[in-house]
Amino acid sequence: MDIFQVSDMKEIRGKVWKFGDDINTDLMYPQICYTLKEEEKPYYAMSANRPGWSKLVKKGDIIVAGKNFGTGSSRPAADNLKNLGIACVLAESINGLFLRNSVNSGLLSLGVPGISGRVNEEDIVKINMEDNTITINNDTIKFTPLPDFLMEIIENGGIINILKNKKLLGNPL
Amino acid sequence: MNTIEKILKNHSIDKPQEVSPGDIVTVNVDKAIIVDMAALHPEFINNPPIKPFDKDKIAIIFDHFVPAPNIEIANRVDKLRKLARLWNITDFYDIGRGGISHVLSSEKGWLKPGSIIANTDSHTISTGAFNVLGRGLGTPELMGIIATGKTWFMVGNTININFENKLPEKSSAKDIFFKMVEQIGDIPNDNIEFHGEGIKYLDMDQRSSISTMCAEMSAEFAIFPFDGILSNYLEAHSIHNVNPIYPDNDAIYSKTYDMDLNEIEPMVAFPDRIINNVKPVSEIGKIEINSAIVGSCANGRLSDLKDIAMVLKNKKVNRNVRFIVTPATMDIYNEALRLGYISDIVESGAIVTNPTCGACLGGHMGVSSENDVVISSTTRNFKGRMGSPASKIYLGSSRTVALSAVNGYISGE
Repeated sequence: MDIFQVSDMKEIRGKVWKFGDDINTDLMYPQICYTLKEEEKPYYAMSANRPGWSKLVKKGDIIVAGKNFGTGSSRPAADNLKNLGIACVLAESINGLFLRNSVNSGLLSLGVPGISGRVNEEDIVKINMEDNTITINNDTIKFTPLPDFLMEIIENGGIINILKNKKLLGNPL
Repeated sequence: MNTIEKILKNHSIDKPQEVSPGDIVTVNVDKAIIVDMAALHPEFINNPPIKPFDKDKIAIIFDHFVPAPNIEIANRVDKLRKLARLWNITDFYDIGRGGISHVLSSEKGWLKPGSIIANTDSHTISTGAFNVLGRGLGTPELMGIIATGKTWFMVGNTININFENKLPEKSSAKDIFFKMVEQIGDIPNDNIEFHGEGIKYLDMDQRSSISTMCAEMSAEFAIFPFDGILSNYLEAHSIHNVNPIYPDNDAIYSKTYDMDLNEIEPMVAFPDRIINNVKPVSEIGKIEINSAIVGSCANGRLSDLKDIAMVLKNKKVNRNVRFIVTPATMDIYNEALRLGYISDIVESGAIVTNPTCGACLGGHMGVSSENDVVISSTTRNFKGRMGSPASKIYLGSSRTVALSAVNGYISGE
């Protein structure tokens, strides 16, 4: 499986999958994932609420969701989305723990109030990271960027890479 | 500044005069807690931190999968035992010695008012009952904290919730939380401070139940004030010389909500979500159940076991219902044994498991089938949370669960 890695991000362009409010971590990373092989895990994402979806996702696709995206557990839910190929999550609001986990896994997630009413499924969305705008068809939305230190984590592919670079991590147990 | 802002300021490595919403602060962490689930994160096993920043500020606790339900998990968590030896960790709690990390943290005296706790479990917000800021964090982030002792927080807006009056006998702290959710909804990145004279009627178990459940509103922190009840708890656990934090007189709250606790009746959350999905039990009609669960960091405490023992004494669990009770810690289990709660529960036809998160996360000790309709006093009712995605999970107080287990349908009285 390809791991979609964004580095030196200037523009992200992708096809939209739409989700509603309160999409929780257990939907993204069901209990069964804990003991599966890494490459099998992503295919269980959203299997309870949207069976079959994970097989349709293409590398570079974008999730647009409602309020309170990622509510729930500290489990590596963002990893499942990233490893499925999702390039970015745009949501009305994002749970604080999910946002941290997303950044730490190298997946860009942005809280963009108003986004879900202005985007339809299968729209092509263009996220310009230099002027902080999202363009859908002829519509443009301004967004508040993540702080620089969080973007740096994402651009490094996640916090593990940074900890490795600082020589803080050791040998397998 | 309010209480939360003051604790963040006090821990900031940059020593600012004050902090306010929108600021990002890098803070020193007073205790970093790793639970057994961390061993299921491949990075932790493959690339553990070389050494902890301070071994006495690290705790390793087995709670989610106690005892290990399969070979894979048994092998993984065994590596944590190796790590505990490697790092010479004093605060290591294996099977039979501890319990659910959030509850154990209070019993062990790690929740000193005014401190900051990091834990790999998402219900760490529970520490707020103790005038402590706690945050659940992903395992990779905890790996950074173990190595450096530091993390960051964005200072959020804080809402003020005033509790007035006393909860009726028939109602529980969980019902207060459900009423809060009904009024307020989700608040990602915002904090909660509880105030009001109604707090003096809430014991530490009740406050902990409420603060724990605030994770389900996506609150960042949810904190109770320091008072005589908390002070007595700390004294009883030999914790002296504490440094509680109080809000300034001109503290800023983005919004204030008043709640009359006397008006709160038993409530239930319907399956799949809590937000916009709670109702008073008196208004739901007859919903039959076949599974009942009491436990978790929110409601596996001694007062929960007392509540259900009072309901179950000299009664039988309905023949169509399986009732599983999971105390949160070994201390609670032992105390409930001594007080006779366990025999009241077991004689009714319920079973009592060892302390663990157990059925709450659907890993073992009560996994739900596709035909199950569950009433549970645990923390979450996400679709598929406790087992089959086709099972239906209703949430209520422990008392509501016990009444329902006896009647065979969801009951608040």
